[in-house]
Amino acid sequence: MAQIELVGVTKQYGSTKALNNVSLTIADNEFFVLFGPAGAGKTTLLKTIAGVEFPQEGLVKIGGEIVNHVEPMHRNVSMVFENYALYPHLSVYDNIASPMRSKLYKKDEATIKESVERVTRMMKIDQLLERKPSQLSNGQRQRVAIGRCLVREPNVFLMDEPLAHLDAKLRHFMRGELKEMQAAFNSTTIYVTHDYMEAMSLADRIAVLNSGEIVQLGTSQEMYYTPCNEFVATLFGEPEINIFPASPVWDNDRLYLTTLGQDVLFPLEPDVEAVLRNQNCPACDIGIRGGDVGFSFEKKPGWIAGTVYANEPIGNKVIMTADVGDTKIRLVAPNDTRADLDQPVYLGLNMKNAILFNAEDKTYIIRSDAERYTRAPVPQTAKG
Amino acid sequence: MNPNQLPKSKSHKSSLEILEAVGRNAGLSLYALFALFPLVWMVLCTFKSDAQMYNTVFRFTPTLENYEAVLLGTDYFKAFLQNLAVSGGAVLLTVVAGVPAAYALARYDFKNKEGIAFQILSFKFAPEIMVILPVFLIFQKIGLYDTYLGLIWVYQLITMPLLIWVVRGYFEDISVEVEQAAQLDGYSWFDVFFKTLLPLIKPGLVASGLLAFIFAWNSFTFPLVLSGFKIQTITITSLRYIASDTVHYGQVAVASTIAVLPEIIACLFIQKHLVRGLSFGAVKG
Repeated sequence: MAQIELVGVTKQYGSTKALNNVSLTIADNEFFVLFGPAGAGKTTLLKTIAGVEFPQEGLVKIGGEIVNHVEPMHRNVSMVFENYALYPHLSVYDNIASPMRSKLYKKDEATIKESVERVTRMMKIDQLLERKPSQLSNGQRQRVAIGRCLVREPNVFLMDEPLAHLDAKLRHFMRGELKEMQAAFNSTTIYVTHDYMEAMSLADRIAVLNSGEIVQLGTSQEMYYTPCNEFVATLFGEPEINIFPASPVWDNDRLYLTTLGQDVLFPLEPDVEAVLRNQNCPACDIGIRGGDVGFSFEKKPGWIAGTVYANEPIGNKVIMTADVGDTKIRLVAPNDTRADLDQPVYLGLNMKNAILFNAEDKTYIIRSDAERYTRAPVPQTAKG
Repeated sequence: MNPNQLPKSKSHKSSLEILEAVGRNAGLSLYALFALFPLVWMVLCTFKSDAQMYNTVFRFTPTLENYEAVLLGTDYFKAFLQNLAVSGGAVLLTVVAGVPAAYALARYDFKNKEGIAFQILSFKFAPEIMVILPVFLIFQKIGLYDTYLGLIWVYQLITMPLLIWVVRGYFEDISVEVEQAAQLDGYSWFDVFFKTLLPLIKPGLVASGLLAFIFAWNSFTFPLVLSGFKIQTITITSLRYIASDTVHYGQVAVASTIAVLPEIIACLFIQKHLVRGLSFGAVKG
C-alpha cells in the first residue's frame, strides 16, 4: 500500500559499515526479497525501514514521505523478527492481539477475536492460543510471530527470515500461503531470506546484498540466468554452479575455449564470440550449472575426462561430483544413476548455457542469447 | 521385561527416595533451628523481667511489663512511623531513579559504561563509617541534617546499587527486538515500558526493592549521625533502653521484635518473587 524508497542510506556500527550507501525503490504492492549471506546487512536494512534503527546518512521514504524522523509506531509497518520477539508474559492470543490493542491501531474485542482466529487458523496454531511463548517449539513461535505481523493491514510488511525455523513441509506450505496472501492483501512486502528457493519462488524482484551493498537487483530469472558476478551466481541454484578458469584460443580464425587442462576445444556461440573479440579476448571463468553438464561412462568426442568423486542420491535426482584435475564439477544425474567411486567418467559441457565471467574482476561478461529468458514468459519451474 | 519385576524395582527405588527425603528434611530442619534460634531467643527475652534476664535456663515467669514500658512509656510508635517514612521514601526514590539507570546501563553503549556500573556497585562496598563524617559536615552546612530528605538521599548509597544491578540483569535478558516489536505494534515508549518491560522485570524489581527496604529499615550508622532530634529511626530508638547504669535487655528485645515484624510480613507476602527474582534470568522464550 505504499512505495518504499531508500536514498543513499548508510548505517555504521562503530567502524563497521552495516549499510553502505544503499539506494533502492520498492514499488507499491511489490513482493521484494532481500537476499544474501549472513552479516550482509539485510536485517539492518529492514530495521532501518521499520524505524528502530537510524541511518547516519540518507533518506528513508514511505509512500513518498520522508520518515527519517517519524517514530516506528507512526510508520504503520508490521514486522516479523528473526528471533520472534514475542512478549514472554503474554499468551499466544494476547501476543497476536497486541497490535490491535495499542492506542494507535485500536480495534474492538470482537474484531480482534475474529482477526486472531483468522490468522491462527491460517498458521495452524489455533489450538495453542492459551499457551505462553516459553511453552512453544521454535516453529510454533515463528508462526505466532508471523501471525502477529499479518493480523494488521500496514503500509508494508517486513519479514526477517520468517520461515527459517519451520520444518521443510510446513515451509513449503507457508510459502504458498504467503504468496497468496500477498496477492489478496495488496500490500508491499519486504522479505529477508538466505534460502534461494524461497527468494526465487516468492519474489517479484530480488536484491542481493553483500557487505552492506546491493550487488545486484532484478527478477529471479535475471539472478539465476544472468548473475552480475560470480558471487551472485554461487548464491542461486543447487548444486552450486561450477566455476572454473578457461583460456580463449584461436584456431582457423575462430575463437575457442580450453579449460581444466583438457585437450578439448569448446566452440563458442557467435554472439559470445563477438563479445569476447570486442573485449580483446580476456581470460575468463566458465560458470556452468549442474543441469547443463552431461555425463557418460564411455568416451565421447569433445567431452572431458574425470573420475567420480561422490554420487549422492537426493530423491528425485542424483548429485554427482566428478574430479577433473584439481577441480570438482557437480552435475545433476537421473535418480537411477549408479557409479563407483574413482570410476572414470566423461563430462559434456553445454556451452550454450554457460555463463562467462571475467577472470580478473569476476564480473559477468556474457551468456549466449541471454534475452531468451526475459523475452517470453518463463514458467517458475524452469530452474535447476 | 518381566512384569513381576516392575513393582519390585519401583518400590526399591521409592524406598531409597524416602530415605533421601527424610535425610534432606532432617538436615533442613536442623538448619532452620540453627538459623531461627537468635530470633526465638529474642522473642523469649521480651517476656523476661530484667531480674530474670541472665538466667540461662528457659524457666522464667512470663511478663508483659517490657511491652508496656516500650509501647506506652516511650514514643516508640513515632519512631516506627518515621522509620517507615524514611525507608519507604528511600525505596521509592531508588526505584524511580534506579530503574531508568539500570535500563541505560543495559541498553545503551556509552563511554566507560562498565566503569560507571562498577562505581555504582562499589558504593555498597564502602563502610558507612568512612563517608559519614564528610556527609555530616556537608549536611550541617546545607541544612539537610536531621531532615527526611537528607536521610532518604544518603540511604541511596545502600539501597540503589543492588537494585540497579539486579534490574540491569533483567533488562539485559529481554531482547531489544521485544521492545522494537512493541513499538511497531503502535505503542508509545511509555506504553512499551509499562505494558511490556515492567511485567518482565517485576520479579527482580520486587525482590531487590524488598532488599533495599530491609537495608534502609535496618540502617544504623547513617541515622545515628545524621539525625536524632526531629527524626528518630527505630534502630536509634532501641539504643535508648541502654541506660547509663543498667541495660534493659527486655525492652531492647521488644523494640527489636516489633522492628522486624514489617520485614517478616513483607518477606512472607513476596516469598514467591524473592527466590525467583534473585536467581536472575527468569525471562525465557
